[in-house]
Amino acid sequence: MESSSGAVPEFDYLFKLLMIGDSGVGKSTLLLSFTSDTFEDLSPTIGVDFKVKHVTVGGKKLKLAIWDTAGQERFRTLTSSYYRGAQGIIMVYDVTRRETFTNLSDIWGKEIDLYSTNQDCIKMLVGNKVDKESERVVSKKEGIDFAREYGCLFIECSAKTRVNVEQCFEELVLKILETPSLLAEGSAGVKKNIFRQKPPESDASTSGCC
Amino acid sequence: MLTPTQRYAAGALFSLALHQAQEHQTSPLGFPSHQDEDGGGESSEERVSSSSSSDAVSDDTQLWVHQSSGLLRPVFKFLEIDSRAWGGLEETAAYSPSKHHVGAFLRLLAEETSDVSEGAAEMELALMNSIEAMSLSMENTPADYESKKEKQREYEQACREKFSTPDKMPESELKHNSMHNNNRQEINVITSIVEESHAQSISESDGKPLDEVKMLSYQRKLAVLYELLSACLANMSEDDKKSTRQRKGYDARYRVALRLLSTWFDVKWIKMESIETIVASSAMAILKEEESKEVAQSKKSSWAKWKRGGIIGAAALTGGTLMAVTGGLAAPAIAAGFSALAPTLGTIIPVIGAGGFAAVATAAGSVAGSVAVAASFGAAGAGLTGSKMARRIGDVDEFEFKAIGENHNQGRLGVEISVSGFVFEEEDFIRPWEGQQNNSERYVLQWESKHLIAVSTAIQDWLTSRLAMEMMKQGAMMTVLSSLLMALAWPATLLVLTDFIDSKWTIALNRSDKAGKLLAEVLQKGLQGQRPVTLVGFSLGARVVFRCLQILAESETNVGLVERVVLLGAPISIKDMNWEATRKVVAGRYVNAYSTNDWMLGIAFRANLLTQGLAGIQPVNVPGIENVDVTEVIEGHSSYLWKTQQILEQLELDTYYPVFNQSVLKS
Repeated sequence: MESSSGAVPEFDYLFKLLMIGDSGVGKSTLLLSFTSDTFEDLSPTIGVDFKVKHVTVGGKKLKLAIWDTAGQERFRTLTSSYYRGAQGIIMVYDVTRRETFTNLSDIWGKEIDLYSTNQDCIKMLVGNKVDKESERVVSKKEGIDFAREYGCLFIECSAKTRVNVEQCFEELVLKILETPSLLAEGSAGVKKNIFRQKPPESDASTSGCC
Repeated sequence: MLTPTQRYAAGALFSLALHQAQEHQTSPLGFPSHQDEDGGGESSEERVSSSSSSDAVSDDTQLWVHQSSGLLRPVFKFLEIDSRAWGGLEETAAYSPSKHHVGAFLRLLAEETSDVSEGAAEMELALMNSIEAMSLSMENTPADYESKKEKQREYEQACREKFSTPDKMPESELKHNSMHNNNRQEINVITSIVEESHAQSISESDGKPLDEVKMLSYQRKLAVLYELLSACLANMSEDDKKSTRQRKGYDARYRVALRLLSTWFDVKWIKMESIETIVASSAMAILKEEESKEVAQSKKSSWAKWKRGGIIGAAALTGGTLMAVTGGLAAPAIAAGFSALAPTLGTIIPVIGAGGFAAVATAAGSVAGSVAVAASFGAAGAGLTGSKMARRIGDVDEFEFKAIGENHNQGRLGVEISVSGFVFEEEDFIRPWEGQQNNSERYVLQWESKHLIAVSTAIQDWLTSRLAMEMMKQGAMMTVLSSLLMALAWPATLLVLTDFIDSKWTIALNRSDKAGKLLAEVLQKGLQGQRPVTLVGFSLGARVVFRCLQILAESETNVGLVERVVLLGAPISIKDMNWEATRKVVAGRYVNAYSTNDWMLGIAFRANLLTQGLAGIQPVNVPGIENVDVTEVIEGHSSYLWKTQQILEQLELDTYYPVFNQSVLKS
């Protein structure tokens, strides 16, 4: 299939971003809030969802392909194949539910290590639902500590009030723009044979939680 | 029968297969001469990532998985996949190489076992049993096979006798035999390469396919295929004006995707054919039953609901009778079809009995969908055989379909049309195809027999003329072809001799183009019953097929009609003929079989040969066209009459990936 669009490219870079985290932490609402400025209570995502957003960051026209994965346990096996080739991974937790936070290190962190094909891939920790300040159980300090330990970016936001939603994606993208290897991927062909080192069964990682 | 998550996974696998099948159009699986599957996948990744090309599905309307093709969404809808998940699935299929995802979705399909109710498991089992029973009845018995073989041998013998000086050198027979063993060895190597690379590309389609496929029970696989087929046949799509797909029924692209999926599942194609037959037959049974109830009066609420839902094809509504729906499948024929099936199935499986077919369909939860299938038969049967359109057109004197094989009115969802092109008497339109073993509903196209016989006879006469005989004895003919190819001077004697062939040849070429156009019209009108068609033709018949493809390629809406194409010894130029365009209208395999020493074809077609190449004696270097060298099988152009069947067997058309199996070769 030769896509013969010889026209002027509508963007300078294309980045693939992936959103992960437990069921109900607000991944889909966060994405919806970012892409269409609306807030809705959504039913659990089935499998994977996909949205495109064009943004201009640092003078560059970017096309963001954002994959929103289902947090539900039964789709866990599916998510693994979407890590491939992602330049940025957004790990979302709910500041009012501690287990969604601890699961990030217990489960999701391991998944990234297992399946991400991109060593330089930028990770971002996002604490969602800060509008429910009264119900908060995970402090900002804890989030910062985790991010520092794990070597990722950190932000707290609310998909409902749209606080920090734009910033969340913008910071991630800025960081990708600063990383030459990711930049190269976003503009040219992807390296070959990355997928040959296929990781072992995912069962090992899923069995840890139950 | 399947849980929502399983249906989701099934839908996903189907979209992956559909997209992969489209990629294989231009870079076939396990075909070393082009990009292999790995390369294909990689290139698509590049396509996706490069900033100059479009990358989201929504941008590329050429994709089969794109919404505008109208292929996937009806299937999703039938499978009751939440519409919010559609975008993600389409994007997954189109965006990234499928090999990354196939394994994951297979695992999802397999893992989801905990909440499968006992009833569902029983249904799976019942379905499996009926499929097994059906495929038993469809399989050809060895005795059957032998008798067909015998018939074919008789025909070959008859042909050979007729052409006591066939267009081959006397010594070639000897050479042929003595070389045979060597060749076989050599050829075996070639075959194994193809097969190895196939195995490789399959295993590359994800890291460890076997494990994941093994996780799936056989019943589950069949159940998934059953559901998907029902989904493909259901008339779920509301008239979407944006969609380029206007036809309802069984799209050829669906069938190719299912073929790939069954390859991934490691399920034999005959099982899939059995499923096709079961779905089609049960649909007709249900229709009949419902129809009688309707007549009886009581407005069955479910029936009314189906109608309201627009599930029944337009044909059913306007016609109002069963006959209208099933078109050419006349009522007695239907009854006969059932009674033929019922004993086999009825005795083996309890669910099949009175109204048993309905039970199978109900068990699978796809009654509604299946009903639409019957409409997809359209005016089959009578449609094709009854279309003597020639007179209306005027340019073509004869154009007629004849039914061959035993698979008529049996609810077969594959149609095959075979076209002879080098004939000496009328039976040469039929006999080359008679012994073929497959489960399609088969027809031959008889066209312009007067002209074809004239040109074939002229060529044959010329061959038996003394001068030609002399030349053959001197082995000159072999050099003729090479001198043709190398633009060397022609022996003057040849030129004189060919003069009287030329005028007849020109007429025949012209008629074949017109017949091709007619064939395209027939297919566009859906006289084959909205079922995927396989077109096979040799000599000028191949030209008819090719011309038909060219006409079909002129409109975007024709892409789902033709599933497979085989051209043998085709008098078609290679340059300036837009092979690429014709590739697009063939959903599955597209084979060009050529013989490098078919000098007769070379001479007849010499006008174009020099500058433009000739498909019948050379490979066509267009991505996605399977070039098969049959030089070893073909002694001369007339050999296609009796060797076509063998070549088709070697091609194993029911296999998804390119095959030319030399082990079938018989001396």
